[in-house]
Amino acid sequence: MKKTLLNLIISALILTTTSMYSQELIVKSNLENLTMRVGETFKPTSFAEDLEGQKTMCQAVIYYNKKGVFSTAKAVTVDRDKGTIRANEPGTHEIVALCIGQEGQRLSRTFPVQVDFPKAKEIKITLTSAKVYEGSYIPLEFEVVDEMNFTRKNEFFQLSSGSENIQIDAFNNVKAVSPGKAILSASFDDISTTLTIDVLSNPINKLELKASLDVSRTGDVVNYEAVGYDINGNQLEGLPFTYTFSGKAIDKSNNASGLIMNDGRFVADVIGDYMISASLGTSSASRPLKVVGRGVEREVLKVGKGVVSDKHTSDFWVFEGVDGRDYAVTGTWGADGTSFFWDVTDPANIKKIDSVKVDARTVNDVKVSQDGRISVIGREGASDRKNGIIILDVSNPYDVKILSEYTKNLTGGVHNVFIDNDHVYALSGSQRYFVINIEDPKNPVEVGMFEVGKEGQSIHDVWIEDGIAYSSNWRDGVYLVDVGNGIADGSPSNPVAFANYDYATGAHHATFPFKSKSTGKFYTVLGDEIFPDGVDENNPNITAGFLHFVDFSDLDNPVEVAKYELPGQGSHNYWIEDDVLYVAMYGGGVRIVDISGDLLGDLYRQGREIGYIMTGTSNGYIPNATMAWGAQLYKGYVFYSDWNNGLGSSKVSELKPDNSKANQYINKTPIID
Amino acid sequence: MNKFIILSIFSVTFSYSQEYYFYAAAESDDTVSLINFDGETAVELERIPVGSMKTEIEGPHGLTVDPSGDYWYLSLAHGNPYGSLVKFSTETNRPIDKTTLGLFPASMQISSLTGLLYCVNFNLHGAMKPSSVSVVDPETMTEIKQIQTGVMPHGSRISPNGRYQYSVAMMSGELFEVDALTLEVNRTLSLDENHSMSHGGMHHSPVKPTWVMPHPTEPKVYIAGNGSDEIIEVNTALWEITNRINTGKGPYNIDISADGKFLVATLKSDAKTLVWELDKKNPSIISNNSTVPHGVVISPDSKYAFVTVEGVGGDPGLVDVIDLEKAKVVSSVNIGKQAGGIAFWKIEE
Repeated sequence: MKKTLLNLIISALILTTTSMYSQELIVKSNLENLTMRVGETFKPTSFAEDLEGQKTMCQAVIYYNKKGVFSTAKAVTVDRDKGTIRANEPGTHEIVALCIGQEGQRLSRTFPVQVDFPKAKEIKITLTSAKVYEGSYIPLEFEVVDEMNFTRKNEFFQLSSGSENIQIDAFNNVKAVSPGKAILSASFDDISTTLTIDVLSNPINKLELKASLDVSRTGDVVNYEAVGYDINGNQLEGLPFTYTFSGKAIDKSNNASGLIMNDGRFVADVIGDYMISASLGTSSASRPLKVVGRGVEREVLKVGKGVVSDKHTSDFWVFEGVDGRDYAVTGTWGADGTSFFWDVTDPANIKKIDSVKVDARTVNDVKVSQDGRISVIGREGASDRKNGIIILDVSNPYDVKILSEYTKNLTGGVHNVFIDNDHVYALSGSQRYFVINIEDPKNPVEVGMFEVGKEGQSIHDVWIEDGIAYSSNWRDGVYLVDVGNGIADGSPSNPVAFANYDYATGAHHATFPFKSKSTGKFYTVLGDEIFPDGVDENNPNITAGFLHFVDFSDLDNPVEVAKYELPGQGSHNYWIEDDVLYVAMYGGGVRIVDISGDLLGDLYRQGREIGYIMTGTSNGYIPNATMAWGAQLYKGYVFYSDWNNGLGSSKVSELKPDNSKANQYINKTPIID
Repeated sequence: MNKFIILSIFSVTFSYSQEYYFYAAAESDDTVSLINFDGETAVELERIPVGSMKTEIEGPHGLTVDPSGDYWYLSLAHGNPYGSLVKFSTETNRPIDKTTLGLFPASMQISSLTGLLYCVNFNLHGAMKPSSVSVVDPETMTEIKQIQTGVMPHGSRISPNGRYQYSVAMMSGELFEVDALTLEVNRTLSLDENHSMSHGGMHHSPVKPTWVMPHPTEPKVYIAGNGSDEIIEVNTALWEITNRINTGKGPYNIDISADGKFLVATLKSDAKTLVWELDKKNPSIISNNSTVPHGVVISPDSKYAFVTVEGVGGDPGLVDVIDLEKAKVVSSVNIGKQAGGIAFWKIEE
């Protein structure tokens, strides 16, 4: 009875309390249905109103752009001192009015604010081809410059023409029908302009299509060149040919597919019969191409394993010790700061020989000097939050000794490190890297630092080769920095950036420089790291992202030419040697990929995969759960680390895969060797 | 909040068994634990994985629970490079929304006046330059403004009336008062009087304040002088330091009981927790069950303090439950590594 009474009292009190705040109020504001022009300012006023229309003044009103304080929110900015908003960019934007009531209760409402483009002051049509020939579609670009000097590309102009030798369709495609002058009229926002087009007669009497190959393998880049001749048999120069292809795959359930470029390069993804065509107006020429299998598949055999069954494993490094034997070091992740040392002289019999435990939770990266004497490990999660690096004497990997700890400027955690010629390159707080001289490893000395120098700069990895540091800077992409190569007069104490490439996703996580043995071309291979669905501890994690192959042969004009993307699996760390890629694809294991020859298009679809290893083990930290972290080719063996399983080794066999057990219904397609 | 007050009133009169629920973050495991304490034993009910990058440590640091009890908010210290704030449902413990903040966002609280969340961007490992307080509307999860304060701001706490947000700048040794309505810095106070130190023209606070906690009823805030091993009392009406109380080594986080009776501070460098009845002279010093005590929150009924203890390396983090009247640890529960941020959720009968 007592308890019931108490409950009643509590309920009554709660109800009374709630009802005080339960009046139905709505924010009213002159922001409602507001339309502004770019450059205008507006002073909003807001108040609260109940259902009966009774007005209640707010104690304060806070206005903000719903996109937040960063760059995208600059479209409409709030001046809190003046109590105004300013329209900076056209579009529909959302402004929130947050009313703080007299008794402290908050009430908010989001108002769409339409910001109109300023009036156009100039429009332009540009012909993007030097010459226009009869029978061709005319390549045009449209541009509006408005009163605020904003430039908008490819707005939809109203096109018309009184000339009978050009035709305009509903989508503004303009076709040159016959030779002669044509006047194209365009209007936008009450402004008009005209473009005079000189449609030339087709000079081609004979068209020839040359090819570098008539039989190719999937993935081979075939170069086509269309050559036109006039009626006198003279070769014509500078004709804007269009290249196309069609084809039929051998596999009836598949499409012929590939990539053809404006300059006549073509690469086929699948086996089949293709027809490559070049055309100019009504002139065209075609040439068949037979595409056969690449035939690079090989058996990949698991050789040995060094399982870590009580912790996650992170990065690793295999090296030749000063005694001529072969060793490896592995880090651990989210654990107790342990690094393990292994004797891998016999890759079939990997032996754990020593360990080092430091004050950290994660030793994400481990590296060893070229002479096999010094190892550097990075710390994250140190109890004193100083993190930094630990320098180890590994001249006897059976008895590893700590030489020194170095934390200056590295307290934010060292996620990745590299050692090159007595210098350590250590990431600092995911923002920059420092260069530390370790000629005296007991007394490391900071000698240099590199950072991108942009607001919000971020870095994930650094890799050194031939005196060039390749840093992976997420949205800022790869930076090539001279730290001793001489190309830009740089040195470890004076790192000088000389080239850069970034890409739209901003997920740039790792870089490997790659000089193609077969072509001499120089690429940087840029890896993504993406977890699109976040983290799920109870299920295999979904990963995404791929490797971007960027042709850096011209340092000032890098061009992304190809990608390696494994469907359903994202990329992590990788190694390239002798035109072969060894890439850890998390749940997809380690993939071994032929990257010889010119590279163009989707390398996975081109049948370039030599083989793969699923790196899970039955006695791993998470049994049978492949989560490949990195790979390294060492003395003919493919070593790898796996987040759930530790260290492993494998061997790419000379043998082709044994198909005797393959499903008899799988349609085998022809290959050539 | 009203429910808590009502429950607190009745808890004094009627001796029902109480169930306490709170969240604690494990910074080196990327997990948050939901813990229940029934008056005798603390139990981890759920360990919630947080963050979005499986193979990167994202560092869950600060925690707070919405006054309604419907949501909890978590700052993730590490990003590319900016950290973030994630909103979770207390019903499902699943994330609902997320927004980017500044560098190393840390402690935070929601104002009962504005309903806005104020989170300091600690920038623990960045350059020695002023950082900021991010103001977030937790309804839309929009960062409204970054208010510049001092170097390495920490310990974001709101005055009882919700009008002011307080934080201290660890390296510049300042107390900041932000007006929660105008979103401007209202007042600053140097805490380094008679303690000045300078390296090459750059001020490095010897006090190294790491936390500030307003008194629930009096115009005072209490500050943890992590470097000077003291609790500093500031009278907010006078805006001056009125007392300095020596503690053990490295006071780090502070909470004050809702009845204003107890101040509890973690002594990070001593592996101990200080429990001080504010009207008495000498505080009690209690040993924790592991090393590196970090966060502290006191139950709204002023009976228990829940203290996170980081541990070292592979040690599990843990939460020690301290009975404030008895001044002793009465229960302890292991959670993920480097236990840090902690926030009280609710009391149930």
